[in-house]
Amino acid sequence: MKLSLNWLKDYIDPKLSAEALVERLTMAGLEVEAVESVGGDTVLEIEITPNRPDCLCILGLAREIGAITGKIVKAPKIKKLKIPALKKLIQIEDKKDCSRYIGTVIRDVHINAAPQIMKDRLAALGINAINNAVDVTNFVLMETGQPLHAFDLDKLSGGQIIVRRAKAGETIVTLDGVERKLDPTILIIADTQKPVAIAGIMGGRDTQITSSTKNILLESAHFDMGLIRKAGRALGLRSDSSYRFERNVNFEGVLTGADRATELLLQLVGGRLSGREEMTSKVKTSTPKIKVRISEIDSLLGAKVTAPQAKTWLSKLGFKLTASAGVLTVTPPSNRSDISQEVDVIEEIARMIGFDRLPSKLPTISMNNIPVDKRPREIKDKIRRVMTASGVDEIITLSMTNTKALAKSNLADLPMLRNLNPLNQDQELMRPSLFPSMIQVAVTNINRGQKDLRLFEIGKRYLKEGEKETLNMILTGRRGNDWRSPKKEMVDIFDLKGIVAAILKNIDVSPVYGETHLKFLDNGCATSILLNGEYIGSLGKVDRKVLNNWDIKNQDVYWAGIHLDEIFAMQGKNLKFQPISEFPAIVRDVSLSVKKDIPYKKVEEICQLQGGDILRSVHFIEQYLGDKIQPGEKGLVFSCQYQSNVKTLREDEVSAVHERILQALTRDLNATRR
Amino acid sequence: MQWNFEEIQEQAKTEAEVIDSPQALEAFRLKYLGKKGTVAAVFASLGTAQPADKAAIGKGANDLRNLVEGLIAQKVGGISAGKAPGELVDISLPGVGGGFGHTHLLTQTMQEIIDVFEQMGFVTIETPEIETEFHNFTGLNIPIDHPSRDAFDTFYLDAEDPSAKGRRLLLRSHTSPGQVRIMKKHKPPMAVIVPGRVYRPDAVDASHSFMFHQVEGLLVDEKVKFSELKGLLTEFCRRFFGPKVVMRFRPHYFPFTEPSAEVDINAEILGIQRKKWLEILGCGMVNPKVFESVGYPKGKYKGFAFGMGVERMAMLKYGINDIRLFYENDVRFLKQF
Repeated sequence: MKLSLNWLKDYIDPKLSAEALVERLTMAGLEVEAVESVGGDTVLEIEITPNRPDCLCILGLAREIGAITGKIVKAPKIKKLKIPALKKLIQIEDKKDCSRYIGTVIRDVHINAAPQIMKDRLAALGINAINNAVDVTNFVLMETGQPLHAFDLDKLSGGQIIVRRAKAGETIVTLDGVERKLDPTILIIADTQKPVAIAGIMGGRDTQITSSTKNILLESAHFDMGLIRKAGRALGLRSDSSYRFERNVNFEGVLTGADRATELLLQLVGGRLSGREEMTSKVKTSTPKIKVRISEIDSLLGAKVTAPQAKTWLSKLGFKLTASAGVLTVTPPSNRSDISQEVDVIEEIARMIGFDRLPSKLPTISMNNIPVDKRPREIKDKIRRVMTASGVDEIITLSMTNTKALAKSNLADLPMLRNLNPLNQDQELMRPSLFPSMIQVAVTNINRGQKDLRLFEIGKRYLKEGEKETLNMILTGRRGNDWRSPKKEMVDIFDLKGIVAAILKNIDVSPVYGETHLKFLDNGCATSILLNGEYIGSLGKVDRKVLNNWDIKNQDVYWAGIHLDEIFAMQGKNLKFQPISEFPAIVRDVSLSVKKDIPYKKVEEICQLQGGDILRSVHFIEQYLGDKIQPGEKGLVFSCQYQSNVKTLREDEVSAVHERILQALTRDLNATRR
Repeated sequence: MQWNFEEIQEQAKTEAEVIDSPQALEAFRLKYLGKKGTVAAVFASLGTAQPADKAAIGKGANDLRNLVEGLIAQKVGGISAGKAPGELVDISLPGVGGGFGHTHLLTQTMQEIIDVFEQMGFVTIETPEIETEFHNFTGLNIPIDHPSRDAFDTFYLDAEDPSAKGRRLLLRSHTSPGQVRIMKKHKPPMAVIVPGRVYRPDAVDASHSFMFHQVEGLLVDEKVKFSELKGLLTEFCRRFFGPKVVMRFRPHYFPFTEPSAEVDINAEILGIQRKKWLEILGCGMVNPKVFESVGYPKGKYKGFAFGMGVERMAMLKYGINDIRLFYENDVRFLKQF
């Protein structure tokens, strides 16, 4: 809402500099967002919150300033006019849509320009002058907050106003020259033949006031706020009128607005007052009587306020009140539809005191009554610690994605949640996987020459069954940055697996690795992660074709994704101390040659199976894939560590077990010793 | 056999001085301490020595071994650092390793905010991003078709709300639905923080994003006052922005609190000149209508709630001028914090 200080002075002189007024208004909840000079006038741009439609006019602001400063407000005096009653001028189809309609007819008018001062007032508020009749309606709108519309009476077929819902297929060309399609959700003003205005939003071009208009019908009405809001949204059309109707116009103000405009029209446009018809569905809006306990003011605000003080402040705001035994009975002014509860009145008292002048102290706390499952956060914290210790940076990406990004990632066939009102294509889908977000961040960085990336995100995937907490990680580029080793090695799958294993160990998950079928991974170099037989994630090398889709040409990318909800749901392990053996360990190295398709895991399993209770651990040392070995075979080097908790092992005891292991490896895997 | 231990020791010292490579050091070790080295030979000679000489020979062998081990230990450090004898190491060369990762600035800022409130007795609870109209609007005294909803424009999803036939699920436009969820589930006293992602269909520019993060706070008990809300947030601002922060509480409007306020801090404390005051959060006393909608007995409880944007707090505190930097994840941004 714009406030012209020149216009304001017609009703009140706050005796404050513009700067001081800005401060006072802001601290009373009418935040001044901008101050500008418009041809000798100062105009404040004020943010009016949706609960204060009474401040959407100059008089309303004058009253508020009067309450803040204690200065007197002089509202314009409207002369009581003798108005002949007209009949059959107005029909209202449904009183719920329009609770009040006042139609005033003025005949033999002279349409020309409004006086300069009225044009200046409107210009300061950014409103263009049109002609004296239209300018009067706009002036009264801005002065009193009551939207008005003037029709050319002679252009209304049947000389009648019908307030009704539009029929499907009806159209109207509005004042802005645009043809609008109407439907039954939209309330219109019609004559006997056609729509002549969209109720509360904008008039029609064909019935507007022109220089040749002779007779005027002035509309002052009260329309249903929800209806106007929905129609405005459906049509994508807003106006100064609809803005006020949406926020609720003062029911009492309908008559005041009609009278004030009638008076000004007769003054400026001339003509004679032919008559008026008023349709009102209810006599008066109920005026609430709100009980305010004086003790409650302190209970809510933490400030001692006496009954006389409260009365003084509320009276300044135009509240009517009576006091008895610690209770005020309060009736707010008719334009304060936001005041309906005790707390609403107490807030007014607080505003008048000034929030900054209310006391401030730390709360007296009671013990919290809320049990919190700490596990999800602990796990996320642990993951962040392992990740950062492993040199992986955290990223945060947007939760939405699009069909194209998913297609590029071979993910187009996942079931997905669709966003019904995206602002653009990039927001059309809720991501079913973090992968496209991760790869996009890699692309952004690689294109900027930052090719060595270690990134993770803890975020959500969105599925039909809901949102799922997920960890994703990618590694690409060089492994480390050690100037002592001239050879720059690139990361590979084992860098990825090492970090994944460290995380899982840290959050007490003993994973089983299985096959994976994710379509964006190279399945010759990928594995799934299983927890108690359930799939909880995968890790692997990203498929070359997918990388090409994303224009990553010259480097491999390794990706891991782990579902966290399953891990949150799992019981944490109760760690127990494992005794440390006092007796020496005996280590035996083994060097084998096996068929290439035999996984090392099999070798380890056989060792564990045959090792009995003295095999403490098996350590992998080296894989050999060179040419000093049979074609189709690979060399594996590992060591077996033997140890007992109760005695020093003898060589022959160890040798017996070790020999059993070697024989089993030869028998079951066809391994040969190297 | 006769051993001149003195001479052998002198010899070892002279040889050690000129060792300049790991290979030479290993050769030196083998010569004296290897299986066929001097020390082993001395011990071996014990078998044939005169009983009267045995003690001296044994001592000589042990002394020699200690000397050689000492010499080797002295050499090891210098050689592995690539240092030739008598030469200086260029210690100005960069160290290796220590390449740790960084948590995202938003994670850090969110944690910083949460830490302050947790230190003061709040607990943290996360609630869902996908919400119902009841939790996001109606339960918070925001009518579905009302201008007070304009500030909470919302993305809707193609999924039906299982609790309200014909109504769609939506992405929460603020963290306040967490208030409704927590109060529906628990009885006061409570002091809770609800952090998380929120969504609004705003066109993206330097200060707007359609997704951002908020931290919500809620304290409910039988006696809670606006003065305590002021006290708590004043303490928060001092701990977050520093003890010299100046604040002001301005009346504002939120449908779910009454009275409602916005809090500004002085721009000067952050070195910002273009404005005097910076808005940082919204707050107020829980509207009795919200207590009613979660089924609390009328008039029994009072409480306050507050909410702040994490991006905004981080931008103000760290002088970041474009919200898009947070989601773009350029590593040059990530690694600054």
